[in-house]
Amino acid sequence: MHVLLLLAMTWVLVSPVVGAAGPSDHDPARVRTEHLTARLLAERPVVAAGESLDLALVFELETGWHTYWRNPGDSGEPPRVQWALPDGVSVGAMRWPRPSLIRVGPLANYGYSGRAAHLFRLHVPVDWRAGEPLRVVADARWLVCKEACIPEQGRFELQLDVTDDPAASHGSAPAVDRLFIEARDRLPAGEPIRAHVENSDGRLWLQVPARRLPSPLTGAWLFAGRWGLIDHAAEQPWRLHDDVLTLELTPGEAPDDRLEGVLVVESGSASRAFPIEADANPTQSTPEPVPTAQASDLALSSALLFAILGGLILNLMPCVFPVLAIKALALARQAGAGPAARLVHGLIYTAGVLTFFALVAGLLLALRAAGAAIGWGFQLQSPVFVALMAYLFLVMGLALAGGLTIGSRLMGLAGAAGAKADHGHLGTFVTGALAALVAAPCTAPFMGAALGYALVQSWYIALAIMLALGFGLALPFLVLAVVPGLAARLPRPGAWMSVLEQLLAFPLLATAAWLTWVLSVQTGSAGVGALLAGALSLVFGLWLLERSRNARRGWRWLTLVLAPVSLIAALGLAVGTGRLDVATVRTAATDGPRAEPWSAGRLAQARADGRPVLVNMSAAWCISCLVNERVALSSDAVAKAMAGADVLYLKGDWTNRDPAITDYLAGFGRSGVPMYVVYPVNGKPRLLPQLLTEQIVLDALSTLVPSGGDHRRELRP
Amino acid sequence: MLKHRLFPSLALIFVLLPLLANAAPRIGEPAPAFSGTDTTGKIWTLEGLRGKPVVLEWTNHDCPYVRKHYGAGNMQALQREAAAAGYIWLSVISSAPGKQGHVGPAEADALTRTRNAVPTAVLLDPDGAIGRAYGARTTPHMFIVDEQGTLVYMGGIDDRPTSDPADIDGAINYVRAALADRAAGKPVAQPVSRPYGCSVKY
Repeated sequence: MHVLLLLAMTWVLVSPVVGAAGPSDHDPARVRTEHLTARLLAERPVVAAGESLDLALVFELETGWHTYWRNPGDSGEPPRVQWALPDGVSVGAMRWPRPSLIRVGPLANYGYSGRAAHLFRLHVPVDWRAGEPLRVVADARWLVCKEACIPEQGRFELQLDVTDDPAASHGSAPAVDRLFIEARDRLPAGEPIRAHVENSDGRLWLQVPARRLPSPLTGAWLFAGRWGLIDHAAEQPWRLHDDVLTLELTPGEAPDDRLEGVLVVESGSASRAFPIEADANPTQSTPEPVPTAQASDLALSSALLFAILGGLILNLMPCVFPVLAIKALALARQAGAGPAARLVHGLIYTAGVLTFFALVAGLLLALRAAGAAIGWGFQLQSPVFVALMAYLFLVMGLALAGGLTIGSRLMGLAGAAGAKADHGHLGTFVTGALAALVAAPCTAPFMGAALGYALVQSWYIALAIMLALGFGLALPFLVLAVVPGLAARLPRPGAWMSVLEQLLAFPLLATAAWLTWVLSVQTGSAGVGALLAGALSLVFGLWLLERSRNARRGWRWLTLVLAPVSLIAALGLAVGTGRLDVATVRTAATDGPRAEPWSAGRLAQARADGRPVLVNMSAAWCISCLVNERVALSSDAVAKAMAGADVLYLKGDWTNRDPAITDYLAGFGRSGVPMYVVYPVNGKPRLLPQLLTEQIVLDALSTLVPSGGDHRRELRP
Repeated sequence: MLKHRLFPSLALIFVLLPLLANAAPRIGEPAPAFSGTDTTGKIWTLEGLRGKPVVLEWTNHDCPYVRKHYGAGNMQALQREAAAAGYIWLSVISSAPGKQGHVGPAEADALTRTRNAVPTAVLLDPDGAIGRAYGARTTPHMFIVDEQGTLVYMGGIDDRPTSDPADIDGAINYVRAALADRAAGKPVAQPVSRPYGCSVKY
């Protein structure tokens, strides 16, 4: 009996009481209709005089059924509430959670599925007598639709206890707490963002300053606040450029100079909503200075400088140095040639590099224009490209080692024959282009920032940066070719050259071996099998061609048939690697602290839980990533520091294209890996350098947790 | 992967956007042409109605908003006024087969009889062709086309977007107002309004 009484009292305090008007069942806490349950809840059961608190009208909807936003879209009707309140008590306007787009054939509605919690602010007058319960009555009408629509209504009664002690008015059931926290979380956040809208060519262009928007942005949709402003169902192509989000909207039947509504943006798996007020006046810059990705703050001149520096450093990358070495060899052979001839070679080499970079820049810009998010390590993310590059390095290596004289012709293309007078210029040009091609995936420290900057700039700035990068790459060779003093110091040609030539075969073969390993990560053993079979077929074909040179007639015919067959087979096997299922690929095995696979959701969850996070964005083909992991991330000291601070170590694998990671990188102004980000318990994420030392990592880890005490937020049971 | 999905969809958008833009009916411009079959099998075209003003009414007898206006006799009264003023009144049912409001000719005629409605004809548009041409979104959704085939009104039946019959009294009936404006030789004062109701069940 006692328990029953308590229960009944609890119901009265925290739950609505159903009136006679609505369809209801035996449970007095709810209005239950065929397809939804509606409740009126108070944030707290007790309120102090002079205080305000939130009420929530909550619809729990059956799957497939929905209620509507304040602008219901092409059809439907928003819920409405009429209040019956004691004198002096007031309730503010309904606050609407962010809507979803609900498509119905060619039409679109703005509304809610699952749960819709509408908040109201209730104000209790200062002179309300403590101890006198406060009773509010809400008469609500709403429309609930799936295929069919049903107008419904209900009466909700709520009784609050009023105390004169504000301290006593706090505390409520955890479930109610959670509901209100979630409901507030779904409200459009903050003051309206002032935006610019322009009607031209029958389209509405909405330009929103992106400062308050989350990054990286993966989705955007404008919900117009009233009917007629925009076509509710039309697609809304968007792009982010120069810190301005532009949405292309289709005008509705009653367009206006002013556009009011809610912008819902997605960042990974998280959604947020912002009120928007737009008019035709130019956008005023928002006063609040909010830090953006640091790369975007680079001035053009320093970006160009960084690009040239980055290009210079590219010369030392393992995947470009062999090519440069070959070229240096050719230059050494040419030591006897005049300064003019060397200058011409230097310039042609530079032209080769710049041509490649211009081509890539053009491609990059074209793809960017199409809205594609691509990164710099793009080429090496394609297994076919990797296989073909492995072939190329294998053949070049064999040629240098003296195994294939036919190599001299191939090397003419590849650049080693650049010294020969007859096709020297072409060879030099191709060497330049090739050096640039293989350099591309090796993102040197400066390159990430410069490219991130380039990707968000206008086309001519992006082109300038790419060309500066290319110029930096070509610079050492150009200097070597132009400055006679330097060239003179190069060793004289001699017998050592053939030794050096053979020696240089090994970096090339090593590169081929590395590419094979990259392919193994991308495609597994099947891809490696195909590559090795293809390599065998390729070398056999080349050997046949080689034999056929000095061979008798019959032999020659045979090889002329067989050699193309084996070469085509090699090509086919390389292309075949592209068909292998790359989705099943696992992260490259590396030592070091235990990492969880990165996902935007996992990151957001850990942040919400108050855990510090270290994010490592890596790829199998990224040498500096592997070096960093080996040198700086896999020591016991780092593992201990991570465990000590309870750091969540998230690792993203960009070996194959992953748009989520591409977006994440872009959020920091980067378009390549490696990238390391640390997230303190409270505060903004911070980028670590692209070349790590153990000390850098330890220092970064030590700053993540506020000193003293357990950083972990207490979790509710 | 990304590219492969992106380019066809972009291409599709570029092809479809102009089509959509053209499809949207505009006040003061020729109303979208249509050809529809009524419950008796007769074919009605906008071209064939040149010289007569036309009211188009999208309807779905199971929609609460349609029931509001038919239940209270509001829609029927409007049909009678329009007929008296020489208008052709075409009720259009664009519900797809299997969807709410879809009816055959016999059932449509029965609905007209039992509701005491007086449209000139009821057009059956199960494939939604007429509905899509006019951008009909809701039931009811009203359009008025003048003698020259120009669209002079599109939108809701009145300014009270609810399903409550009590809201009919005192509402501004935009269709009645448009008929009055035209009878007085004036342009329609409010040529566009928000259509409200259930979605058309395409």
